[in-house]
Amino acid sequence: MIKFKNVWKIYKLDGEIEYQALKNINLEIKEKEFVSIIGPSGSGKSTLMHLIGLLDKPTKGEILIDGKNVAKFSDDELSTLRNEFVGFVFQQFNLIPKLTVLENILLPTIYARKKLTYDPRKKALDLIKKFGLSGKEYSYPNKISGGQQQRVAILRALIMEPKLILADEPTGNLDSKTGIEIMNLLKKLNEKEGITIVVVTHEADIAAYGKRIIKIKDGEIVRN
Amino acid sequence: MNYFLFVVKAAIEDFRRNKTQTFLTSLGILIGVFAVVMLTALGLGLKQYINDQFAALGKNTIFLVPGKILSGGSFNATSALASIKFDNRDLLRLKRLKEIREISPIFSKQTTAKSEKKSEDTTIIFSSEAFFDINGFKIKKGRFFEKADIDKKAKVVVIGPKLAEKLFGSVEAALDSKVSANNINFIVIGITESKGGGGFGGPDYDNYMFSPYTTGFIFNTAKTYSRFAIKFDENYSIMDVKETIKKEFLKRYDEDSFSIIEPGDILSAVNSIFGILNMVLVAIASISLVVGGIGIMNIMFVTVSDKTKEIGVRRAIGARKKDILVQFIIESTILSILGGFLGLTLAYIGTLIVQKFFPAYIDVSSVVLALGVSSAIGIIFGVFPAKRAADLEPVEAIRYE
Repeated sequence: MIKFKNVWKIYKLDGEIEYQALKNINLEIKEKEFVSIIGPSGSGKSTLMHLIGLLDKPTKGEILIDGKNVAKFSDDELSTLRNEFVGFVFQQFNLIPKLTVLENILLPTIYARKKLTYDPRKKALDLIKKFGLSGKEYSYPNKISGGQQQRVAILRALIMEPKLILADEPTGNLDSKTGIEIMNLLKKLNEKEGITIVVVTHEADIAAYGKRIIKIKDGEIVRN
Repeated sequence: MNYFLFVVKAAIEDFRRNKTQTFLTSLGILIGVFAVVMLTALGLGLKQYINDQFAALGKNTIFLVPGKILSGGSFNATSALASIKFDNRDLLRLKRLKEIREISPIFSKQTTAKSEKKSEDTTIIFSSEAFFDINGFKIKKGRFFEKADIDKKAKVVVIGPKLAEKLFGSVEAALDSKVSANNINFIVIGITESKGGGGFGGPDYDNYMFSPYTTGFIFNTAKTYSRFAIKFDENYSIMDVKETIKKEFLKRYDEDSFSIIEPGDILSAVNSIFGILNMVLVAIASISLVVGGIGIMNIMFVTVSDKTKEIGVRRAIGARKKDILVQFIIESTILSILGGFLGLTLAYIGTLIVQKFFPAYIDVSSVVLALGVSSAIGIIFGVFPAKRAADLEPVEAIRYE
């Protein structure tokens, strides 16, 4: 589904000094996989995640999505892919504070360019019920707990029925019990719904949920 | 859900949470719209008032004044000052013309009128009995002076209602009372109905006194007139009458020494003067709209930088550059329209208050203009901040803390 071929990401600091965030990365993520990317901070795992999530483009090398080179896509096409193909889950949840839970979940659908085969509002309400957030539909994010906020973020990622969910330190801002709940939820989505999951973390026990663990250090994959 | 409604709802929720900031931001537009609408309302009221005043002049009236005051519908101030004065020879000349029915020779004097108790600065207009008819005066109490008063050089005055109240306490008390001006005693024989006016609205006739011109020669030994108001026979066209008078006066004066004016000429001249004045004022007031727009632009730049993370999140879940651009333009436009709407409301209240003292009207076009201009400002001044927001790199925006 996603293939990295000799991917480099190089930042120019102060115009002169080069910083190699990713060095010659080769990796493939197949459909319905559950992959953990683990590495200490500064290892380049966030950069890797941004590349997988189509938020960024590589300096060198190719990223192929279903065989198509990402570099050839326009900004609008990349936006469409992010909208339809990927669902993001962030460490700080990143819900929009002035939108209600329901509106936050619906947000990706207002940017949708394809005709949805379902009624988004009905689907959002179904998801809310299914994921134990009933009664919170019209609450604002600051009125619900961290675990609930992260569940809302996961529902926002699910609403467009993506093939891939990309979770960046999804448990980083949660207590361990809630963190386990969230990870089990992701695991269930992978097993029951067949959604590809990529989790980026620095914690080994979180990474352990993955069926495959990619270890990254100093911009290089040290174990796959 | 409709994208537009979604964005508008989010923007309004945002503003609801930052009421003070929102209000202060739209204050510039508020003041600008208020000033523009208010000035336009006053300009319209003034125009209406002047037109009403001229409508009261009646038909078949023309004026003969010294100098070339009006040329091509605009006002020529210099030649109005340096000019001849009319005298009895001119009056006789006019009286001989068959086209003319009534002539009111006019001159005036600034003076201090004294009753037994009080004194007031005023203007006496010396004229004939035709003056009242030509100018559309109505009597409230007593009578106007007549031909007999003119022949007798009677020391009588008709006074305006405001002056009557100031000098005598009431209109009733004024009638048949004595009033003196420059140590000459006059009897008040009549009080006119109020004609409004004063300030910008023409002569303040309610505070004037009117007396026979023959009586006025006490103060005007040269027996000159500053103008003639003429009512002509309706069987003649205004063009013919003007031509006849012109021919007659050219025997004595050169062409630049006098003007024959129809009320329509004065009206269009006055309208053009006030039109220009009003345009200048509105243009000055419009500057505050621009300043208001810059205020909005400034706040929008702050908002964009405050919302960098949000922009990143929106981009991550599929928003295109265009979507972000539209979102911020809508936000600035709402801010601006909000200011415009509040300014309009304030101007409406202001107009209601002003109407108690002075005519003022808000017409549909100024409402449309105010809201149109404020939304245009929102869009124009919103574009730059919105462009900055849209051009943020998704990865930079999402990393932003």
